[in-house]
Amino acid sequence: MDLSVQQFRSKAEQDYLDLYTKAEKALPGAGNPFVAALRADAIKAYGRLGLPHRRIEAWKYTDLRARIDEVHPLVTALGIPVSDEALEAALGSAIAAFPAYRIVIVEGELRVDLSDMSGLREAGVEVSSLSHLLEMPPEWLKAALGQVNPREDDAVLALNTALMTGGVALRLPEGLTLGKPIHLVHLDGTGEAASTFTRNVIAAEAGASATVLESYGSLGMTGLQRNAVTEIKIGDKAAINHIKIQREAPETIHLNVWLAALGADARYNGFQLSTGAALARNQVYVAFNGEGSSADISGACLGRDRQHCDTTLVVEHRVPACDSRELFKVVLDDEARGIFQGKVIVSPDAQKTDGKQMAQALLLSETAEFDSKPELEIFADDVVCGHGATSGQIDEDLLFYLESRGLPEPEARAMLIQAFVGEAFEVVDDEALREAFNAASAAWLGVEAG
Amino acid sequence: MLEIKNLHANVDGREILKGLDLTLPTGEVHAIMGPNGSGKSTLAYVLAGKEDYEVTEGSITWNGKDLLDLDPSARAATGVFLAFQYPMEIPGVATMTFLRSAVNAVRKARGEDELSTPDFMRLVKEKAKGLKIDAEMLRRPLNVGFSGGEKKRNEILQMALLEPSLCVLDETDSGLDIDALRIVADGVNALRSKERSMLVITHYQRLLDYIVPDKVHVLSKGRVARSGGPELALELEKTGYAEFGGEATAA
Ligand SMILES: Nc1ncnc2c1ncn2[C@@H]1O[C@H](COP(=O)(O)OP(=O)(O)OP(=O)(O)O)[C@@H](O)[C@H]1O
Ligand SMILES: [Mg+2]
Repeated sequence: MDLSVQQFRSKAEQDYLDLYTKAEKALPGAGNPFVAALRADAIKAYGRLGLPHRRIEAWKYTDLRARIDEVHPLVTALGIPVSDEALEAALGSAIAAFPAYRIVIVEGELRVDLSDMSGLREAGVEVSSLSHLLEMPPEWLKAALGQVNPREDDAVLALNTALMTGGVALRLPEGLTLGKPIHLVHLDGTGEAASTFTRNVIAAEAGASATVLESYGSLGMTGLQRNAVTEIKIGDKAAINHIKIQREAPETIHLNVWLAALGADARYNGFQLSTGAALARNQVYVAFNGEGSSADISGACLGRDRQHCDTTLVVEHRVPACDSRELFKVVLDDEARGIFQGKVIVSPDAQKTDGKQMAQALLLSETAEFDSKPELEIFADDVVCGHGATSGQIDEDLLFYLESRGLPEPEARAMLIQAFVGEAFEVVDDEALREAFNAASAAWLGVEAG
Repeated sequence: MLEIKNLHANVDGREILKGLDLTLPTGEVHAIMGPNGSGKSTLAYVLAGKEDYEVTEGSITWNGKDLLDLDPSARAATGVFLAFQYPMEIPGVATMTFLRSAVNAVRKARGEDELSTPDFMRLVKEKAKGLKIDAEMLRRPLNVGFSGGEKKRNEILQMALLEPSLCVLDETDSGLDIDALRIVADGVNALRSKERSMLVITHYQRLLDYIVPDKVHVLSKGRVARSGGPELALELEKTGYAEFGGEATAA
């Protein structure tokens, strides 16, 4: 007898379906046939997939069905006041003060009063709130939304498409070089525990170049369930730095998907720093669709207590002569758990592929745990691919060397930990951002930035 | 004054120092020689407070203060400095950041004000110049890619910056070419003073030609087997360590 696993739904699984049924008519773009069909297909796909659980290979270490007992109601945008101090507390001073075009999304709603977009439109960038555009999506958005690097098998993505309510749509016109970064700030509210589904869509046309920073922080709401997706289409010869910092409140569940696709001779630098949330699952899917492109996707995750931080990457080399690099650093204390899964797929046509991947963990306690699963699926013969993973403790000899120079033990330890993660920050081109990351990791360690 | 009495120390459960006695008066420079494996580096590590070196018996006092009570950073603050036989490479830690953190940590512990960035830069530049360390080297991660000689010069730079009162130099001369030896020895001599004591561990008379010690001690099997004036080093150069149970010639 073939009893499908999906016959049984957990409470949370059903909650998501109910959330959709209840909200369907009121979701942005409900009246637009294109958007409505997109959502309907997505919720159907979710219904088929259910919440990911440990018997699904890619979710072996992060069992959402076991971790999510119930789903909180959709967040309501109340337009709460947000002071500069609150913003700084949520993001850290270095990130809050980071010089950029700033677009702030609170409770899923784009807040013009907190944003600073002056000059962005003048520079030639098309920028709008996604929920606004969904009411009558322009052609470029239709071509991008759910189309950049489609994944049929991802329930988190399906839920996002079904329920997306906020976020930003950005279009960088052909040949535009944006001198100042764009900072997309995502903050929850201060009310009852809620769930939120934000979606950013970025289309960089041929030859465009820009830096986009996404930050995720908490104004105080505990128990936020966040589902955040960014699609990013990188045209021929375009160059995009895509950076994320996540430091949400300790009870948060943070589910994140990046979908990136590169044209020919394009460049994509992705970087993620995670220090917050009870559970964070960061998925990055990158596809090479044009020859001669390169991508560097790196990051660091700092966890303590019982935090769970999962980074799962899939890089698909579909065409010849592209390079991909990944370097992930994980620091775990107490009973924290870190996961790195990296899959590199090289299609039969993708000759001259160069793909390298490295994950390194530093365990600060006996009870912390790091699992890594590198996978190479290579169907071409003329390729250079490699991966590695290491896991270790602080080197006592190095620690003694620093202490013997007068650094008290906690400071010496912090210096070594910062040195360990700092290597991953080096891929970030922007010096101010690199400094901000150093400050963020120093803050995590409870020391001043070195 | 440094007073070491009946010092016994274990490494990995094995006794390496077996009742070592040594007195180093303030302002003096003593050389420590002895065959490979006799316990010279072990003594240096025990003085600096390395964790896995377990003192089972005896005492070490520095100006009357019990050193064994202090953790390594506190020892540094009271003036102990060990120039390592094998300085550590620490990727990701910029040499300048490290130097500055060390100087300020020690100043703070000694109740002095931290140095401002310009003051610190000036100080480093001045000391580095004397040791012929160029600015480019200081921009690299700590000791990473430094040659053997550069690492040793960097140790002396740290010593000059931290202004210790008890300097322990563990084979600072090994790996140095003749010019570098001269530079390092000049650097060490510049730090010689009435208030500062030094233990210079070496295998070679060559270094002691430059840094002339007040006394020479020969370590053998974890104890001081013989002590004498500077002429003892010259004698050992001729006879080797045979009488101390070492190999026939000095290493
Ligand atoms: N971590 C360790 N574990 C086990 N044995 C050790 C350890 N460190 C030192 N020893 C042993 O202790 C003894 C003394 O070593 P030490 O390094 O103090 O000698 P040394 O006099 O400095 O020699 P050298 O002239 O070669 O530098 C040696 O037999 C060495 O093997
Ligand atoms: Mg030695």
